Amino acid sequence: MVVDLDKYLKQDKDYYIAIGLEGSANKLGVGIIKHSKGLLSNVNKAKVLSNVRDTYITPPGEGFLPRDTARHHRNWVVRIIKKAIKDANINKFDIDVICFTQGPGMGAPLQSVVIAARTISQIWQIPLVGVNHCIGHIEMGREITGALNPVVLYVSGGNTQVIAYSKNRYRIFGETLDIAIGNCLDRFARTLKISNDPAPGYNIEQLAKKGKHLVNLPYTVKGMDMSMSGILAYIDQLAKDMFGIQKKQLKDEESGEFITKEDLCFSLQEILFSMLVEITERALAHVNSNQVLIVGGVGSNERLQEMMKLMIQDRKNGQIFATDERFCIDNGIMIAHAGLLQYRTGGIIKDLKDTVCTQRFRTDEVYIAWRDD
Amino acid sequence: MTESLISTLEDKIPNIKLNCISQGAEALVFESDTHPYYNDSKNCIIKYRPSKPYRHPKIDLQITKQRTIGEVKFMYKLCKLGIPCPNIITTDFPNGIIWMEFIGYKLENNEISSFKNWLWYLEKNGNDHDPLKKEVEFVCIKVGELIGKLHLNDMIHGDLTSSNMILVQDDVPHLIDFGLSSFSGLPEDKAVDLYVLERAIMSTHSVYAESYNRWLLKGYQQGYTNKSKYKEVIKRLEDVRLRGRKRSMLG
Ligand SMILES: Nc1ncnc2c1ncn2[C@@H]1O[C@H](COP(=O)(O)OP(=O)(O)O)[C@@H](O)[C@H]1O
Ligand SMILES: [Mg+2]
Repeated sequence: MVVDLDKYLKQDKDYYIAIGLEGSANKLGVGIIKHSKGLLSNVNKAKVLSNVRDTYITPPGEGFLPRDTARHHRNWVVRIIKKAIKDANINKFDIDVICFTQGPGMGAPLQSVVIAARTISQIWQIPLVGVNHCIGHIEMGREITGALNPVVLYVSGGNTQVIAYSKNRYRIFGETLDIAIGNCLDRFARTLKISNDPAPGYNIEQLAKKGKHLVNLPYTVKGMDMSMSGILAYIDQLAKDMFGIQKKQLKDEESGEFITKEDLCFSLQEILFSMLVEITERALAHVNSNQVLIVGGVGSNERLQEMMKLMIQDRKNGQIFATDERFCIDNGIMIAHAGLLQYRTGGIIKDLKDTVCTQRFRTDEVYIAWRDD
Repeated sequence: MTESLISTLEDKIPNIKLNCISQGAEALVFESDTHPYYNDSKNCIIKYRPSKPYRHPKIDLQITKQRTIGEVKFMYKLCKLGIPCPNIITTDFPNGIIWMEFIGYKLENNEISSFKNWLWYLEKNGNDHDPLKKEVEFVCIKVGELIGKLHLNDMIHGDLTSSNMILVQDDVPHLIDFGLSSFSGLPEDKAVDLYVLERAIMSTHSVYAESYNRWLLKGYQQGYTNKSKYKEVIKRLEDVRLRGRKRSMLG
């Protein structure tokens, strides 16, 4: 049986257009996508018409608070929507569906974006679709890279999950038992007072490139799950000892050289990414797959991609897929794309009260009606 | 490619016929009819942890050694306690090699009789093999009992999944794969061990997971004969589950 993706195609039209609004964390993104009718495939790819984003950046040492982030989104959402429509060069009445992130994410920022979505839906008389943020990442990653049935490593500020598809759901095989990888890196960046521009994780990556000495850190893989809070507490303490009032200096055992900030960033990345790659490989072995797709903001880290590549090379017919920062980092286009798939399989919201956002929304709660493999 | 990994082992143990039966996450597993010192040979298993090029060499060395030693230590202890697992034949720590007894049999679809393959086989061949029939319940309970016994002795498996249990004749489950094992009396560690299994069952056998998990826990209770400690673990398991569900997914 093949899923019919054209049951809801409008008369006299042979394509669909969707607009997607994303604002579950500190990035506000609006994207517009076009699907031609029929199944998506190598020869019938989704077409990105526009992809606009604005990031709320805080001073070094500070994380983004829900209230301030929500204010940022409110201030920018109208301008970003206008720009997305202009860039796409479409008539807004040609839009079939308005898609918004329904969760997971931070409450206040989600709220401010859904209000914009409801408003344009009412003014323009276009239906709404609520999208799970993680599903957005996965579907966009599959569409861009052409990975058919990969094990997905989803790594971002708020999420760390190893996911594989089975029987109409993206099922979570492994995940963090405490904090998310991006969160762990961001918090360490705050301890070191590293800049948040363009992103704390990016700046840690740059420092890590200059690190040489590996500091011993705990390694905490549990089955296909992992834990990071202990590692963060440990390295935070080291950093506080080194850069606090005590100025306690640490030496590398082999070379006798002093341990630097760069070495700490290097060591943290090495240990965390080793764990990520290991749990991904565990899931691969467990579901007998040989494809990996990395999605989410931390997925743009070059060292993580390199390590994953080295792992996959040692597996039979292994293949790795990753997207660049346009699609890896939170964006509106992925919400538009996943939302449009949902629309094409009848997933529109019929009653405004069902547009309420939720901070917790697990990946495996969504029924994937558009796949039947 | 796997071939180059296999040849690194062939260099280390020349003249041994090797048949690679699994490339797991951290180890390659081979079947061989050559025993290291006996002539009359039953088949044996050679588990080899190759070095992982993605890891920093220091991390790599530490993990390979720690896991190989840890696995063997755990198996000796199990053997001493009479908890079913393969017998150790010999080991080579620096090279990450363990020789052990081959256990299990081939299922009708020619797969190894791991608990996972066995369940999958029954799940796929629906009608005449109803996955919810008594036999499955019986085996789930046996597996649960085995884990209960393990925890009773303060032993943590660390990677409980349906692929890390092998059924031998008459459906007696044996445990394998102890690279992540540890010794601990803490209810938290035991609860996480159970939680990892529960989630593995949900993702691997999603349609029947609820029944499987219920039976596994029933067996666990039977195996964990220290009632007060058993209760502590189950109470903790509820906390761990809640933590999993409630974990806020934000930055
Ligand atoms: N003693 C054994 N007898 C028979 N099969 C085994 C034995 N040990 C391992 N296997 C097979 O090899 C697979 C991988 O072994 P395992 O020890 O679990 O390594 P990994 O850490 O790679 O998962 C198992 O799932 C099982 O099918
Ligand atoms: Mg295993």
